[in-house]
Amino acid sequence: MITPEISWLAILPEVMLALGAAGVLLVEVQWKPQSNVLGAIAAGSVVFASAFAVLQWVQAADSVEFGTTDELVAFSGMVLMDGLAIFGRFALLAVTAFGLLAGWKYIVSLGRRSAEAIALILLASAGFSIMVAANNLVMMFLGLEVGSIALYVLAGMSRERARSDEAAIKYFLLGSFASAIFIYGVALIYAGTGELEVLGIREFLAGFVVFSPAVILIGLGLVVVGLGFKVSAAPFHSWAPDVYQGAPAGVVGYMAAVAKIAGFVAITRVLLAGVEALDADWLPIVAAMAALSMLVGSTLALVQGDVRRMLAYSGVAHAGFILTGVVGGTTEGVLFYLAVYSFQLVGAFAVAAAVSGADNSESSLDSYRGLGRRSPFLAGSFTVLLLGMAGLPVTSGFIAKFGVFAQAWTNGFRWLVIVAVLASVIAFAFYLRIIVAMYMDESDAVEIDVPGTSRWVLIVAVATTIVWGILPGSLLSLAADALPL
Amino acid sequence: MMTWLVLLPVLGAVVVMLTPRARTELHLPMGIALSVLPLGLALYVFAVFEPQADMQLTEFHSWYEPWGIAWNLGIDGISMPMVVLTTILVPIALGASTMVTHRTKEFVIYTLLLEAGMIGVFVSLDLFLFFVFFEAILVPMYFIIGIWGSDRRVYAAMKFFIYTAFGSALMLAGIIALAVLHNEQAGAPSFALPDLGGLELSIGAERWLFAAFALAFAIKVPVFPLHTWLPDAHTEAPTAGSILLAGVMLKLGTYGLLRFNLQLFPEASVDAIWIMGILAVVGIVYGAAVAIVQPDLKKLVAYSSVSHLGFIVLGTFALTSGGLQGAVIQNVNHGLTTGALFLLVGMIYERRHTKQISEFGGLQKVMPVFAGFFLFMIFASIGLPGLNGFVGEFLVLVGSFTTLPVLSIIAASGVILAAIYLLWAYERVFTGVPEKEENEALSDLSVREVSLLAPLAALVLLLGLYPNVLLDKIAPSTEAVLDHIEASTDYVVPAPGRLGDVFVAGGDEE
Repeated sequence: MITPEISWLAILPEVMLALGAAGVLLVEVQWKPQSNVLGAIAAGSVVFASAFAVLQWVQAADSVEFGTTDELVAFSGMVLMDGLAIFGRFALLAVTAFGLLAGWKYIVSLGRRSAEAIALILLASAGFSIMVAANNLVMMFLGLEVGSIALYVLAGMSRERARSDEAAIKYFLLGSFASAIFIYGVALIYAGTGELEVLGIREFLAGFVVFSPAVILIGLGLVVVGLGFKVSAAPFHSWAPDVYQGAPAGVVGYMAAVAKIAGFVAITRVLLAGVEALDADWLPIVAAMAALSMLVGSTLALVQGDVRRMLAYSGVAHAGFILTGVVGGTTEGVLFYLAVYSFQLVGAFAVAAAVSGADNSESSLDSYRGLGRRSPFLAGSFTVLLLGMAGLPVTSGFIAKFGVFAQAWTNGFRWLVIVAVLASVIAFAFYLRIIVAMYMDESDAVEIDVPGTSRWVLIVAVATTIVWGILPGSLLSLAADALPL
Repeated sequence: MMTWLVLLPVLGAVVVMLTPRARTELHLPMGIALSVLPLGLALYVFAVFEPQADMQLTEFHSWYEPWGIAWNLGIDGISMPMVVLTTILVPIALGASTMVTHRTKEFVIYTLLLEAGMIGVFVSLDLFLFFVFFEAILVPMYFIIGIWGSDRRVYAAMKFFIYTAFGSALMLAGIIALAVLHNEQAGAPSFALPDLGGLELSIGAERWLFAAFALAFAIKVPVFPLHTWLPDAHTEAPTAGSILLAGVMLKLGTYGLLRFNLQLFPEASVDAIWIMGILAVVGIVYGAAVAIVQPDLKKLVAYSSVSHLGFIVLGTFALTSGGLQGAVIQNVNHGLTTGALFLLVGMIYERRHTKQISEFGGLQKVMPVFAGFFLFMIFASIGLPGLNGFVGEFLVLVGSFTTLPVLSIIAASGVILAAIYLLWAYERVFTGVPEKEENEALSDLSVREVSLLAPLAALVLLLGLYPNVLLDKIAPSTEAVLDHIEASTDYVVPAPGRLGDVFVAGGDEE
């Protein structure tokens, strides 16, 4: 199990991201260059990180084929290089690139502080990237904290705006509580099993009959609560609307997407790879959380008058749908859903950022009136993305929903699937409200200028939403191959 | 070929998408020209269609193997008439849309996408694919009502969308359940209609699944008491929207009941004939009764749809040859006549900007051609012998008399009620002398408008005088449905319910 030699490949993507962050800061201090130079450094680190992630994928595939999966356990069991980790990295890196592009106008507007924003984004990605690969729960905690703290700061980047400050403080306080709960849960799991590693916990549960698993279960519950907070699953979602509304529009999409990806990969790893033996105990609870998230998210989104808050509540509902996939007991549906949803999320917030305008504050439903006339491009892409999130057929969202529903049904959670389909109908209503505002209401507001970088993000987000909706095979088989060890 | 039938309108939409937004005068003619292409193909399909029970012109391409979903298309006697009807109505609906003056490009694109989706629903043999089309068409119709409708359009569009989406959501759960069951029984998931038809279902599961599917389709039809979205949607929709909504989209419900509920859940269908029959008859009488008191001409036609579609549901669940054939041909008939009636209401609305019956009077004198077409379509809708409505309603009533005699007798009153509300409306709108000043100056139909109505009138007459042109192609498929039900349940169609019983000379194969 323990490999004495250090296998650098297992952490090279994170190293690249961290180097990028450090590089951006140092270059800024020394030369004070144009933002574009900093952007190039960031792009370089993301590209290199992605290249190494692809290498990892090739190696992981080889190891699985030749049965030498021990090679994939690196740093004495601290991190893994399995399919789940690498798929998580792919998603995180794609979202990082998107996030930088979508937020580029905002980042540039920060002036000299733009280096901080770029570095924070890269650091957050590095943290979450190590989190998705972590086998040791303490390592997972470290990744979680590195990522989260970077996000807290990012939420408060617009210091001059009270809302941004409020969002940052709220996010920080509640997030710290969640992290504390998580680490307490880890401690209890350690107390119950004597193991910190996910694979070790699995072996322990396979090797021993635990007569009273209460300590393990409480620990597990606390871990799920902590992670549930990060992915904004109900009832741990109350921070999300304020943060989504208050944080700078340019980076909210990124913040939401990376936290969701990392949180859900961690949940999948702990629940499905670690404590699957106890699933009779945790399945009902996770199912209840899923149902609650879907219902709370969809119904509360209905009554929002602010598009960003609406997207936040829709994010709660989506957390529920993804948890439905976890209840389904396989990683495929969860990963596919995460990938398509995070693309849509970043795209949707790119629209929100463009509509919010220079002062970055306006996001009420009223400001979307007549968008179909004011900017056909923005309105058209937003419509596709909203329909994708709603899960209408011919979009990737439908395939994703179908996948998780089918798995949950196969696993016997029929009531959950019925709740889920009904929640999707409720969700239609608020997605349609935005579309109504864009196309069916008139407005004499000014036309909207879309930054070139956001334009590219939107084109890719829309294209993937439609292409994966019609030809989902490639991504689905990738997700199906991305198995945890 | 089926693929092309679905893709041609999509390609048409892409072509329109590429034309400049500012050239508004181009969009409608282009849309009409492009929608004639699928019509040509559909007529070709009609010509080569063999009167046999099996699916024809099938195509199969695996979509995503591990899930068992496939691009699986084909056509039979139940779906073929619907495809032809769809392709006929779309060019007419576009031709009737000269009122649409803003955002014409989007309008044409949505209409063509709607056509692709509707054809897709009818030719899908894979339930997953079927659901994709079934749900996807909500979006273009939502936009058509919501953007180009009248005052309360947003409310109506939303109501339409949520109602239908609610029904289909539970059907989605049902489809998943079937595929999972297939996975358990055959070792691989499948969504193919024949595969799922062969599943062993416990009677409890079958009833639940029947209910899930029936709810989705009943909302679409709409069956009483799920019809409340329909009058709103119709009154608010633009003429083209109403034509396609009444002509084709409602038929997705009756088609679904016949295709999926009867084929997949024969046992539960046999158990449900009374429930469905009663709901159908309540719809017939209720729809007609409400239609009588409507002050709004368009709403009157909308409620008459509720009534007429009741006949189709009754025919479907009569489970006799006559009932099923009547249901299929009545799908077409209702599409033609109600499509034409909405077209006519749209024409008068364009001239007077009102649909209130009380605003009219004596139009016969001012607009004789218009009045003539209106009366002709009213007669077809009432079921005057020699016109198409008679064939369908007669078959349904005869067919249902064998199995559900009481309901059949009550349903027959719907024909009389139809005569009352339609003729009374005609009397108020067209007879007498024009009292209102505005009505005296109305111009009669233009050549364009006559050319839209004439093909519909010709088809009404053709199907009325010689229904066998269609019935011959329908019969083998409907017989196959009955064979399937008799083979998989204890149900035996009581004499003289089967085709052989009626046509003793021709059909008996002792």
